[in-house]
Amino acid sequence: MGTVVTMQVVGHGMTAEQQRERTDAVTRAFSWFHHVEAVCSRFDAESELRQLLSHVGEAVAVSATLFHAVTFACAVADETGGAFDPTVGRRMELLGFNREYRTHAPIDTDCASTDVSYRDVILNQDAQTVTLARPLLLDLGAVAKGLAIDMAARELQPFENFAIDAGGDLYLGGHNTRDEPWSVGIRNPRDVGAMIETVHVTNSAVCTSGDYERRAPAASGGNARDSSHHLLDARRGESASALASVTVLAPSAMVADALATAAFALGPRDGVALLERHGVDALLLTPTLERFTVGNVRHG
Amino acid sequence: MSGRSRSNKQRTNNLVALGSAALLAVYSAGFVRTRAAAARFADEGAARRPSDLNVVSTAHAATPSNDKGARAAAPDVGVVDNTMAAPIARQGAPRAIDNVTASATTAKTPIGVVTRATAEKKSADMRATTPITAATTPVATTPAPAMPAPAAALAAPAAPAAPHTDTVVARAVAVAAAVVEPAPPAKEKVGYTDGTYYGWGTSRHGDIQAEVEIKNGRIVSASIAQCLTRYSCSWIAALPAQVLARQSADVDYVSGATQSTNAYYYAVVDALLKAK
Repeated sequence: MGTVVTMQVVGHGMTAEQQRERTDAVTRAFSWFHHVEAVCSRFDAESELRQLLSHVGEAVAVSATLFHAVTFACAVADETGGAFDPTVGRRMELLGFNREYRTHAPIDTDCASTDVSYRDVILNQDAQTVTLARPLLLDLGAVAKGLAIDMAARELQPFENFAIDAGGDLYLGGHNTRDEPWSVGIRNPRDVGAMIETVHVTNSAVCTSGDYERRAPAASGGNARDSSHHLLDARRGESASALASVTVLAPSAMVADALATAAFALGPRDGVALLERHGVDALLLTPTLERFTVGNVRHG
Repeated sequence: MSGRSRSNKQRTNNLVALGSAALLAVYSAGFVRTRAAAARFADEGAARRPSDLNVVSTAHAATPSNDKGARAAAPDVGVVDNTMAAPIARQGAPRAIDNVTASATTAKTPIGVVTRATAEKKSADMRATTPITAATTPVATTPAPAMPAPAAALAAPAAPAAPHTDTVVARAVAVAAAVVEPAPPAKEKVGYTDGTYYGWGTSRHGDIQAEVEIKNGRIVSASIAQCLTRYSCSWIAALPAQVLARQSADVDYVSGATQSTNAYYYAVVDALLKAK
């Protein structure tokens, strides 16, 4: 398991210095993925995120990375009335999403509660502190990868034309090698390998949340069901089922990924409203492949 | 949805604005560290600990903890344009639909496609194109497939053409840079400017800040000021004493904690650079 991260820089300089610059930038870009993972992983006992669990009720001064990731996730939660909620970490574990992707070692955070919400996370903007009012396990899955992509994109920005692909969540800068906007295929959620739409973008993130992405593994403790996937409607505590995939185009991957996940949790009607409210372009597909589009995504 | 123009859209969306502000704040906080880290990975690390650099390079694509991690096998969206690279490196890569001619060939014979794509670009009098290949690094403890060799081989023939477009291979290029352009290791000479200096060292397990105090041109105290690694810094607790004894950043390896050792080494190098 684990996401493959691919970066492509369209560069023209062939001098050693120019090549070196590109290599350095890509190295810096990849270092962000490590940094964000070390901070935001809910699977890693040593991550800054999990360290919060040892300080329930205390205001913990955290890194800028964690603070802003949590702040943004909670803002999205507020926008969705709690359908999207970053405090579902423990519930995800109980649904079977409890294995570290490298070691596959099971994680059981039994000190964390399930009846919690983002309102139990108190943020202090001035002091940059996070307080967990109750023992809870944060899950920044919908925010962290996008954040890392956006940081990587900033490192590559001087080259203008580049592509970052982190397991299908993308940021596309400038143009492709043919000097055209990048073409991105959106897959059919019910037909592996088939594309259902193509969009052409420049300086934009394209992120998809789909119910095919990650199914709960064989029941762990008997709680996981065949229909369980990783996108929960936190208000009901179970996998959202009204949509099969949501693809969002936004200026940043963090926004695109979080809004795609949030819209998925809300379902088509409220999801479309959310995406329209925030001015992004999107394609929402139901399990029967009924389409809802937001903004400038053409009907196929 | 071609020719997307975002500038003329209404921007009343507070989540988008909040996201932008957050990203700026995170990047500003991390900018100095990543910039310094890259220089160290490429220079000191290559010369001092080549085998470790290899580890660092192959591990560069670790993913943020994420419940979408399993998407790697079948990405839901994909960059259609870099098809010439994708089939070489990836399994289950998205299908090419942008350039039908090229993509039809691509899926079966990746190497043929690179050649073909290059030829097409040249005949169309566009910028000569030499896709050097994709930067693809499977995340895991297992090493990445051996990409550098074919990448270099593919790159070579088209290099003579004047303007050059390439696809940087993170792992391949990073390793190659380490081998081809090793910089001399940082030498710490005794004779620093008095004061207390701090430096950051970065590793894939997290960052370490070193504190070094100089009096009369000599290191009189060394410590770990901040330890943000995923693993306990007790593993490397013995290292500051070595800095003091050796008057140098050149600390021993600590078995099982080579990354943390390197991070501390880099941190001391960083601090001592400021003391010069």
